[in-house]
Amino acid sequence: MIAAAWLCLLAPVAGALAITFAGKRLTRRAAGWLSTASVFVAFGGAVVAFFAMVGRETPQRTELSTPFTWLSAGTFHVGMSILVDPVSIVMMLVVSGVGGLIVLYSIGYMDGEDEERRYFAYMAFFVFAMLLLVEGGNLLLLLVGWGLVGLASYLLIGFYHHRPEAVAAAKKAFIMNAIGDATMALGFFLLIAKTGTLEYGASFAAAPHLSSTTVNLVALGLLGGAVAKSAQLPLQTWLPDAMEGPTPVSALIHAATMVTAGVYLIVRTHPIFEQAHHVEDLAAGLGAATLVIAGLIALVQTDIKRVIAYSTMSQIGYMFLGAGLGAYANAMFHLVTHAFFKALLFLAAGIIIHHLAGEQDIRQMGGLKKFMPQTWLAFLIGSLALVGIPPFAGFWSKDALIASALARGGVFGWILLVASLFGALLTGIYTFRLFFRVFYGEPSELVLEHAGSAHGDHEHGAESAMSHSVHSHGEAPFTMALPVAILAVLSTVGGLLQVAGAWHPFGRWIAQTGAPLVEPTTSQDWVISAITVGVGLVGSWIAWAMYRTGRLAVPSVPALQRVFEHKFYFDELYDGLVSRPAQLLAERLRSDVETPYVEGALSEIGRAGGQAGGLVGRMQTGLLRVYAFAIAASLVVLGIVFLAVR
Amino acid sequence: MMGPSVPFYLAISGCLFGIGALGVLLRRSPLIVLLSLEIMLNGSNLALVTFSRHFGTVDGQVFAISVMAVAAAEVCVGLGLIVAIARKKLTLDVDLFSELRG
Amino acid sequence: MLTTALIVVPFAAALFLWLVPLPREYAGPFAILAAVVEVGIWIRAAIRFDFSGGLQFSARHNWFADLGVSYHVGFYGFSLWLAGLTVVVCACAIGYGVWAQREHARAYFGLMLFLTGSVVGVFASQDLLLFYAFFEAMLIPLYVLVGVWGGPNRVRATVVFVIYTMVGSLLMLASIVAFGISQHTFSLVDSGTSGNDWIFLGFALAFAVKAPLFPFHGWLRQAYTEASPEVAAVLSGVVSKAAVFGFIMIVLPHFPGPVHDFRTTILVLATIGLAYGSVLAFRQPDIRGVIAYSSLAQMSLIIMGIFAYSWLGMNGAVLQSISHGLVSAAMFLLAGMVERQWGTDSFARLGGAARGRPILATLLLVTGMFTLAVPGSTNFAGEFLILAGIFPVGWGYAAVGAVAIVLAAMYTLRVISAVLHDRGGDAVTPGSPDLRFGQIVLVVPLIACLFALSVWPNAVSGHSKSPPWSNKALRTVLCEGPDGVVWCK
Repeated sequence: MIAAAWLCLLAPVAGALAITFAGKRLTRRAAGWLSTASVFVAFGGAVVAFFAMVGRETPQRTELSTPFTWLSAGTFHVGMSILVDPVSIVMMLVVSGVGGLIVLYSIGYMDGEDEERRYFAYMAFFVFAMLLLVEGGNLLLLLVGWGLVGLASYLLIGFYHHRPEAVAAAKKAFIMNAIGDATMALGFFLLIAKTGTLEYGASFAAAPHLSSTTVNLVALGLLGGAVAKSAQLPLQTWLPDAMEGPTPVSALIHAATMVTAGVYLIVRTHPIFEQAHHVEDLAAGLGAATLVIAGLIALVQTDIKRVIAYSTMSQIGYMFLGAGLGAYANAMFHLVTHAFFKALLFLAAGIIIHHLAGEQDIRQMGGLKKFMPQTWLAFLIGSLALVGIPPFAGFWSKDALIASALARGGVFGWILLVASLFGALLTGIYTFRLFFRVFYGEPSELVLEHAGSAHGDHEHGAESAMSHSVHSHGEAPFTMALPVAILAVLSTVGGLLQVAGAWHPFGRWIAQTGAPLVEPTTSQDWVISAITVGVGLVGSWIAWAMYRTGRLAVPSVPALQRVFEHKFYFDELYDGLVSRPAQLLAERLRSDVETPYVEGALSEIGRAGGQAGGLVGRMQTGLLRVYAFAIAASLVVLGIVFLAVR
Repeated sequence: MMGPSVPFYLAISGCLFGIGALGVLLRRSPLIVLLSLEIMLNGSNLALVTFSRHFGTVDGQVFAISVMAVAAAEVCVGLGLIVAIARKKLTLDVDLFSELRG
Repeated sequence: MLTTALIVVPFAAALFLWLVPLPREYAGPFAILAAVVEVGIWIRAAIRFDFSGGLQFSARHNWFADLGVSYHVGFYGFSLWLAGLTVVVCACAIGYGVWAQREHARAYFGLMLFLTGSVVGVFASQDLLLFYAFFEAMLIPLYVLVGVWGGPNRVRATVVFVIYTMVGSLLMLASIVAFGISQHTFSLVDSGTSGNDWIFLGFALAFAVKAPLFPFHGWLRQAYTEASPEVAAVLSGVVSKAAVFGFIMIVLPHFPGPVHDFRTTILVLATIGLAYGSVLAFRQPDIRGVIAYSSLAQMSLIIMGIFAYSWLGMNGAVLQSISHGLVSAAMFLLAGMVERQWGTDSFARLGGAARGRPILATLLLVTGMFTLAVPGSTNFAGEFLILAGIFPVGWGYAAVGAVAIVLAAMYTLRVISAVLHDRGGDAVTPGSPDLRFGQIVLVVPLIACLFALSVWPNAVSGHSKSPPWSNKALRTVLCEGPDGVVWCK
């Protein structure tokens, strides 16, 4: 099992290194296939490890492997270790499986791009980093994986580096993630100071014995990192900008894997969180707030990718809500199903964008149903899963989460419940708003332009390769259509992994690592399911009425519209609160401290030296009589001194 | 020994020395400075001879003769300098020779 | 023997270059040969070193017997690594000099070798006067190297640098003499402890200027900007570590009382330097300025680690010294290549270099990632250890450190995008070529070492024994945490 886990971890980085060192000797196609193969090898490793784990009893399902000590100082040791246990194996499967599908899709999507090899090397590197994050055997390696996925995200968002918006978005994402890294590091320092170790087992065992301040601060640090990585309030501003990267990147990093790392973190470190109840509630609260706000912002977005991005932010809010409540299995389950249907939505959107030669504005789309029927179907499945209509995947997972809120009870539980239900309503509205705007209505000119011809007039990259791949399949080449199809199937049946109230294999699997703090009863499950489906259907109907048939007028409240469009002014807030003061401080320090004092000090000292010399020099008058007088006077003084002393 | 006692001789010696010192410090002509220098030397000679007579040894008197020899040599050098300056048609004023200034 | 060989080989090679009338084309290759031989000797020493023991490969001969001065050299674990850093960085710098075809080749390479020898001598010395001799010997070639082969304002930069450093060194000389006389020996191994604050201050000031520590960093910006790139690489990568060596070898073991008294002052100054350097780096208009202030921040961090007075901080400081030395040397060499290619390193005029130049882009990106200490890199490991070590002393220090991590990300990414991505300036023409093999081979050893260390930072951090500290009371207070956790020896 462990050997398979090591293979899973190392295969993608081997692929990335091979592509980097081979350079131009590898053709672009070959680079793509190599990258895909390395990720699928990782998936193979994960599958083998999974089956090995299933064959064992529960206590043996957790295994830590430490080939060597990575870092040590005195009695503080950190090993290069990997931990394979039920939670990490789920993440390994999702990351390498969905990752493999997306890298495969990229072969078609990125075909003909400049610097394709770089892209595939980065993708493989990202998968490695994410696997390191989930397989890391101690908190420090988790942080290392954490930082490396941030790096991979920077590299991939800024892939189109000749576009200033992409470069700026990449920097923003990296810096916000770095803030999260810093808070996590601070939490770790506190943990080291109190327990002397960063091993999972040791720190979790020590958690109940730590003072409440310590545990709360550590949990807060962890939450800071989780919030930054998962783009939750208040560190969520980087995610929409991250859509500057290529669409498969958005699918992999910003939907299926990296942004869910925060949820994984909370589940992994739950013994610490369970000692810090207020921080747990804070996590759930932030999740609830994010899911509502993101849903509201998604209502007014006009870029297809940004709608899906805000939807991701919102869905992760659900997962945070669940994890904060202690419903670890439900949160993880939603993570898995979300990976399926969100990746599906992004990839389908990618097919549309590809088809329309890079256009992402939904106002330029419309009536695509008759030109792209397969994509329409994929998108429909994804949307239904997202809104949570049975039997699609999202239904089973989302409702379990909302039921957990109900099971929590108390004022807080009710607030969370109401927020989640409102979020479900919003989900219905924005999802189907997108669906109807893109696929129905009158086809726009752009659509007509690209519809007739087998879209042979693309602008990017090698045109011949493009039209070749498209001729064979109409809507999308095989490498793009296959992953979409697989994800569509997974979005349809994937939810059956756990049917609330009937069978809970997933729940029991995760409970081996973290027993849930809240368990909704069967009746709660059924009631909530019914309500949520109802709410989702209402939302979808509202969207249908507004955007399909035009029966309901789209409400126009300019003030609200502006607030939503400006994403609740978070960007402006951070700009004014953080970046502008920082630049000002740097400028003022340079002009008022560094230049006059530190560097100027030297000139001052030099000048002072010269002046002192001048003063002393005035004693040398050159006059004979003055010198003679000086000699006489000194003799007198010396004489008195000697006489007195004697 | 007959004659005035030691203090009187020392007083005269001191006066001579003082007059000579004042002359060196206050006069501007180099010739007068040299002259004052000679007066100082004579003053110290007197003191030397007085003590030699008082203690009955001959050391002071010998030293006084060597002082006279040194004084003669120094006068030669000094007068030579003054003659050289005068030949250059420069004004013989000590205050004007201040080029070695700081 | 190994130690003396390490010291003597570069000096001998320098003398050979200066005295023997070699044709000027052979000077460079000869210097590289000497540098590679030096690296070989170091590797041999490293293989045979016993990292769990104390002073090794030591040699001792009497020099001024009645004063107690001897030629005493040897390595501890941590100084062996510092010497390794020296030989590698100097070899790459000499290689750069060959590639850049410096004029007056024999003089130049002789000076570079002389510099190498002096710095290795600093790290190997176990006698105070010997240490002082090598410390000052470092300055001579630097004076000439910066003053003759530097940029347009080199004279002023040299004067400022030399005078600043010399003032510090003279104070240190006074301290050395006072200490040696009072202990009746100048040997570091034999001498005991002293509680004299003034002697401590003499040493501390000299090292504070060398490192530099805020506010003694006035010479930094000019020296790093005006020196030629490889000299700047050696300056920032290696010479500044002499201060680290001085603190660990001389100050900490022999001045327990004053260390305790001045610890807070030094930590506060280091914290200010860390924050100040990071903030100022953010607004510099050229690559060299960013590296200069980033070095200020990193050295302040290293000093924080040393004065955390615990194994976490100390090992972190040693690891970070090596990592920072490697990465700042690499950055300076790359900046030099950029300057030579396009005539400027100012951000206003550069931009868009990544298009069609994958090798430059990759190398700059990788070096930048190490500079900002991306988690997983050896720089990150060093910073983490240092901050973890300073946290129990005062959480404020660690909080500033955490902010500095974010600032480091900001200024490094600014450098990367200003050179590679933004379409700012006119200096980068589309036809200019990518880095050639000759250039790659200069920087790759440094980056390879960084990668190797990132995979196994314990090579340095778990193997860097230093002389024992004598303040038992201080060690007890810091090494045993309040909950009974012991995390230093």
